[in-house]
Amino acid sequence: MRGLQLSLNQTQKVRLQRALEKLESLSSKPNSNASVIVADSIPVNHEDGLLKGHGTSEVNGEVVATVCGVVERVNKLVYVRSLRARYKPEVGDIIVGRVIEVAPKRWRVEINYSHDAVLMLSSMNLPDGIQRRRTALDELNMRTIFEENDVICAEVRGFQHDGLHLQARSQKYGKLGRGQMLTVPPYLVKRRKQHFHNLEKYGIDLILGCNGFIWVGEHVEVTDDMVVDQVSNSEQQSAKADKKILSPEEQERSYTPQETRENICRTANAIRVLSTLGFNITVEVIMDTVELSISLKQQVPIHEMLGAEFYVLVAEKEAARRSLTKKK
Amino acid sequence: MVGLSIGEKYFIQGGIAQDLRTDGRKRLSPRPIFVETGNISQSNGSARVRIGATEVIASVKAELGRPSALHPDKGKVSINVDCSPTAAPMFEGRGGEELSSELSVALQRCLLGGKSGSGAGIDLSSLAIVEGKICWDLYIEGLVVSSDGNLLDALGAAIKAALSNTGIPRVNVAAGASGDEQPEVDISDEEFLQFDTSKVPVIVTLTKVGRHYIVDATSEEESQMSLAVSISVNRQGNICGLTKRGGAGLDPSVILDMISVALSVSERLINTLDSQRAAAEAGKDEL
Repeated sequence: MRGLQLSLNQTQKVRLQRALEKLESLSSKPNSNASVIVADSIPVNHEDGLLKGHGTSEVNGEVVATVCGVVERVNKLVYVRSLRARYKPEVGDIIVGRVIEVAPKRWRVEINYSHDAVLMLSSMNLPDGIQRRRTALDELNMRTIFEENDVICAEVRGFQHDGLHLQARSQKYGKLGRGQMLTVPPYLVKRRKQHFHNLEKYGIDLILGCNGFIWVGEHVEVTDDMVVDQVSNSEQQSAKADKKILSPEEQERSYTPQETRENICRTANAIRVLSTLGFNITVEVIMDTVELSISLKQQVPIHEMLGAEFYVLVAEKEAARRSLTKKK
Repeated sequence: MVGLSIGEKYFIQGGIAQDLRTDGRKRLSPRPIFVETGNISQSNGSARVRIGATEVIASVKAELGRPSALHPDKGKVSINVDCSPTAAPMFEGRGGEELSSELSVALQRCLLGGKSGSGAGIDLSSLAIVEGKICWDLYIEGLVVSSDGNLLDALGAAIKAALSNTGIPRVNVAAGASGDEQPEVDISDEEFLQFDTSKVPVIVTLTKVGRHYIVDATSEEESQMSLAVSISVNRQGNICGLTKRGGAGLDPSVILDMISVALSVSERLINTLDSQRAAAEAGKDEL
């Protein structure tokens, strides 16, 4: 709740306070033994070979925590997983990132981690979909796949000697087109089975990157290029070439449809509200918030979603939702 | 400022054309503004303004000095803006200098008036103490703490808020000094004089993207702009300054449109500033 900037009136203040208190009372207790704050001593039985990991220090023969977080134990290793930490990649994470450099045989990608990630040309599917060795010609044409500043979606492959490697070996990965990228604290996005969401009702794509980058964009049909025959491919290309010389009027017509844009903005604002309030960001909660805003369309137009009243409503709704799941 | 991909640029431009920007605002609706005053205890007046992720601090420091020979009955005011390297990586080293000097020049033009100080938002003759000998020098400093577009408007609002927060100590001049001698002065610790800030304007920047112009652009939107017109307006609804950035041309009739938009936006902005200040002062009284 740090740095919440809202102009609440008196009743709103009271309502928000009440909702937050309720949330606090509902927070899970069984885990509280493992959570520590700075200078808490961590109980360990001093067998030989205790390994002190991140966030721990030894003071007067006692192991104490140096960060706030949850104590984790792996065999002999004891470490503290801090709560408000920077994103730490794990193998298989789905992430959204921004290309910052095109280097020989690789792209460098900003993924909100302390280092930049690397996406090798060899660890992604070629546009023609054929499995083959990458030639020098492919390397020269790398910019036709991704350029600097492109927003891409990929999977964490693992740590290699030269840093963190990504891969994009499926049609669902790759460049993201029209839409907006949001940044939320990465600890709010939990790892789940599904990170790609096509919200058909609203005609939008939602990608919850584990690294705290969230993509909300116009829905793009994933086409398997391997099936598409050569003719339609060349037709597409010629259509693409035509697109570049459009008059302003024509350009206006080819913009995202108004309705889709409204849905994108609503979803994006819902995510902004949730991340400011510090709630976990899952597709269900986002959709609940979007539906709440649509049901209040009269009182809450899209730009009012970032106003005080909507924050209070969302907090109250979340409190109600959590108490409901608790009862079950 | 990170770059944007082609898709994102296209999305932003389309949003502005369709009157629905990426954060759901309309073209002419500004972000909410938050003002705190009196943050810096060492200065005579200070204010911190937040608009979205943009954050600026303004401080006013008054010092005794000698008036210039040309205008012996007037005080002096200087405005200076600094961009903190914490705001953006590009401000590191000397990177922020260009932007800082651009911002300070724009603010000076909007707030200081002519060479003689006539027509300025701040009444310079109220700063004089003994004609030709002693006057107050006001040093107005702006600091950009974090940058998410629309810096000039935020700085203008912060300076206005800081000036209205400023208290200048009452000065008692010892009688009897004559001729070239510098008179002795006694600065009061208790009595402070408030400024008349009703003439100090606020700045409204209209950024043109594509074929439309928008109020209160974020840094993403600013990266797509062709030009920006900053209009400073005072409480009476008079225009005090007008500056244009960006080389693209503009139809004269569009400027008139922009001015009328700026007038309505500035009225709302001034009212918000006043009400926030009143609320802050009321909050202080309660404590």
